[in-house]
Order: sequence, then structure tokens, then C-alpha cells
Amino acid sequence: MNLFRSEEHARRWKKYNPEFEKNLRPLSFWSEVFSGEMFRARVRSDYIFWLRSDAGKQAVQSTMAKLQ
Amino acid sequence: MAELALLDRAFHAIIQRFVHTGQAPHYTELATELGLSMEDGRQLVYDLMAAGVPGWIHPGTDYIASFPPFNNQPTQYRISVDGEQKWFAQCGFEALAVRWLFPRKLVRVAAPCLDCGEPVVVEMRDSEMLSVEPKTIVGYAYSAIGGSAADRPFR
Repeated sequence: MNLFRSEEHARRWKKYNPEFEKNLRPLSFWSEVFSGEMFRARVRSDYIFWLRSDAGKQAVQSTMAKLQ
Repeated sequence: MAELALLDRAFHAIIQRFVHTGQAPHYTELATELGLSMEDGRQLVYDLMAAGVPGWIHPGTDYIASFPPFNNQPTQYRISVDGEQKWFAQCGFEALAVRWLFPRKLVRVAAPCLDCGEPVVVEMRDSEMLSVEPKTIVGYAYSAIGGSAADRPFR
């Protein structure tokens, strides 16, 4: 999961795999995905418990939905 | 598997150690901090990884190698906070999540592009994206996000 200077740079990368073309997205997309509550909540002292709560499960599902 | 409350204490202790020092604690340090035996501290690290934390232990050792969003072993994703560089992100995507652990602080991600070696630099403060250089930065993973642990460092 890497950052590249542009789409062209990513496509030139030796390990570029067209099968995962959908994973090639602008920085703004990844920034939004990694701004979800499942990432923000890591500051919580009860993070593991929270992940198993309804709110935590919903946050994980929301992140995964963005990746579909 | 350790009980949930203990997993929470361990998770919080490891994250806070990373925030303050840029490094993960050794399991013996974690055990002491949590009032556990050394062996219970060692096992607790494995339990945390098994509980769904997408990090990993360096193969053949009991060392925490990665604990998202941080990496204990240096990666190309150097993180600076308010001008001080002592953190490494697990990957380019997790680098974008480091800011949530440093509220109100300037978080800078600097890495070489894997294609050309030229810099990729992003500066953030909380929800605000302050600068992106170059503006054309993209993220990419060559396999499914959240894939096998063995593959995570390389995607």
C-alpha cells in the first residue's frame, strides 16, 4: 500500500498488477478512507472493546464499503 | 486469549509508547507496565495480533514489527510531528491515519516514490490537508487491501 508521484509512476512500478486496478486511487480517496472512525478511534483506551461494539462494527463496515 | 479489558490496556500502552517515543515496547516492558509476568506479557502481544489488530510480529522473534498506523522497523514512510521526525508508518495508506493520534499537531509524511525515488510529501493537521507535493499523488496496492499478514509489508 504505497504512495506514488502520479498514476503513471504507479503503473510503471515493477509490482503494478492490473488485476488490482481498482486500488489505484488519488490521495484524496485514501485520505478519506483512512479518516474513518475505525482509524480515529485508535486514541481510545478501550479501542478493542469499541471495535466489537455496534458502533465499532459499523465503523469497520463503513471503511470496508468504501473499498468495494 | 487474554480478556478484553487486558487487550485494551495493552493496545493503549503500545500505541501511547509509539506516540511518545516512535518505538514499540518490548514485551518485557509491556509486562512490567501492566503488572504481568514476562511470559504473560509475551503471550499478550500475540493475543493482540490475533484479536484483529492488523500488525505483525517479526518472524522467528517476539518483537513487534508493525502496529498500525506505526512501524517499528523503519519504512520509507517517515513521519514528522511538529518538525520532529521519529516515527515510521506501516504503509502509505496508514501514514494518512497517523494524524488522528496527534491532535492539533502538524503531521508530515515524506517518502520516496517507488518508481522514481523522487519525494512524495503530504502535510496534514487533523482533518485539514495542508499541502500535497506533487498534487498528482496516488495510492496503490497490488493485492486485496487487508490481505494476508505475510504480504502486508510489501503491497
